[in-house]
Amino acid sequence: MSELVLKVENLVKDYGAYRAVDSISFEIKKAEVLGLLGPNGAGKTTTIQMLTGITNLTSGKISYFGLDFNQHRRSSLQRINFTSAYNTLLGRITVKENLLTFAGLYGVKNRLSKIAELLEKFEISHLADQRYINLSAGERTRVNLAKSLLNDPELILMDEPTASLDPDIADKTLTWIEELRADRDLSILFTSHNMAEVERICDKVIFLEKGKIVSQGAPSDHTNKMNRVEVLLSYKGNREDLQKILESHKIAYDFPTDGTVRLETKKDKTAGVIALVVQAGFEIVDTEVKKPDLEQVFLEIARSNK
Amino acid sequence: MKNTETFSISRVWTIVIHEIYVTKRSLEIFFDIFFFPLINVFLFGLISRFISVGSANNQYLLLGVLLWEIVTIVQYNVTVSTMWEVWSHNLTNIFIAPISIVEYLVAHIAAGFIKTATILAILAAATSVFFNFNLLHVGIINLILFAANLAIFAVWIGVILLGFIFRFGTRMAAISWGVIFLFQPLTAAFFPVSVLPHWLQTISHAFPATYVFEDARKTLSVHHGILFESFFWTFIANVAYAMLAALVFKQLFKKSKDSGQFARNDLG
Repeated sequence: MSELVLKVENLVKDYGAYRAVDSISFEIKKAEVLGLLGPNGAGKTTTIQMLTGITNLTSGKISYFGLDFNQHRRSSLQRINFTSAYNTLLGRITVKENLLTFAGLYGVKNRLSKIAELLEKFEISHLADQRYINLSAGERTRVNLAKSLLNDPELILMDEPTASLDPDIADKTLTWIEELRADRDLSILFTSHNMAEVERICDKVIFLEKGKIVSQGAPSDHTNKMNRVEVLLSYKGNREDLQKILESHKIAYDFPTDGTVRLETKKDKTAGVIALVVQAGFEIVDTEVKKPDLEQVFLEIARSNK
Repeated sequence: MKNTETFSISRVWTIVIHEIYVTKRSLEIFFDIFFFPLINVFLFGLISRFISVGSANNQYLLLGVLLWEIVTIVQYNVTVSTMWEVWSHNLTNIFIAPISIVEYLVAHIAAGFIKTATILAILAAATSVFFNFNLLHVGIINLILFAANLAIFAVWIGVILLGFIFRFGTRMAAISWGVIFLFQPLTAAFFPVSVLPHWLQTISHAFPATYVFEDARKTLSVHHGILFESFFWTFIANVAYAMLAALVFKQLFKKSKDSGQFARNDLG
């Protein structure tokens, strides 16, 4: 059995009468990447705040490496780290001074060489003596990642690490995260609003909605649960005739381009819908069946509760 | 594996060094803890020269100004230093590292003492050169005892103010600078307690710093030995207040983490 890095049991957070996190439980194993997803206000941030010890729990239990976080706070924090697009380092001091501070707090040995190694890894050695406040968003993200690796953590909590980055830097950041995971057997708790990123790096995904877990499993489990597919047909024939047939069978459709129709149907009715179009005398030139992606799962969950 | 749950001098020292990095790179801090106190010393030096040439009062005033700076610089370091972290969204990063709140407070107190000692030496040299007032006239041991009690006084006020900032957020930021000046007249820093209205004298006597300023003035007017006994009782009162302040801070800090305010502080 894989080593358990984090175990969360019946975690609850109440702010007065408002329940921000409602009895959630989950685990992260060694080298596993868990995505924590949900619309704004779902309870992701509150959960991460409790996991890092900066917000007290109302009830429940958090254990890191088999030890109760409440009783072993600092020894747990020694083995994990955190990075977020929303928490920056101290702007008025240099990158190296910031990293020296955190290296000291984590009791890192050979601090200067460790910092030099990490700055080199993220291709920011030239920024060591720059004030943090003068860095671009992409450079800050890399410095934050370097900070989060100073103590060689076994688990990193990443709260939207690629928010506000341009696509190129975001892609590079994800590649670094993938490399880190592969090189170090690193476990990661990852939150993002970018579903493509989540599908790319997460082994398991938890959807939170109004503080509760509404769905959990591998990204493909979530998409498989959705009994809906999109069928894109390139056809030859009269558009109005096709429209009449689809409307008479109550099939949702649109025409993205001339000679192409996009149909929305249930997974088990895909063949039947295609057959219907063929039987109506249309020649099918090309067919593409598109399963729902995580983005659609996310939207469906978010909209279902409005 | 090393035990990270126990108090760590190394983590305290790390924050002290961090404070030094911040101080050396911050024009605001330079102005707050060095430039304004220096201007204060010159201002009060000149005022005292104008209103009381040849009298002992101008020495009282300069003595009060110099000793008062111990209170402001230590309190500034305990309270305002945290505001820089909050405004930079870095406070939670620090507390996600394995540091305890006690280590964090001790580090800021220690950094405050180092800065105070350095700045006080410069201010004292300036008053000696420009106003012919030697702070060491109170006696080196007495000066150390006065400084110790004033520093403890500043620490417990700073800790309570920090607790309020943690609990209620940056909307309380103004108190981190402002509240301490309430104690300037209340502790009779620049004049004898007898100058205060009678009802204020009663309040004034509730603060340990009042006794320090009174004792310090005595050492200028009459030859005194080392004021151990007075120091001792003032110290006991200060420790009692500090313990009470620690309890208040603990409650405010807990409430801050219960309400989520501690984490929200960093999000502006």
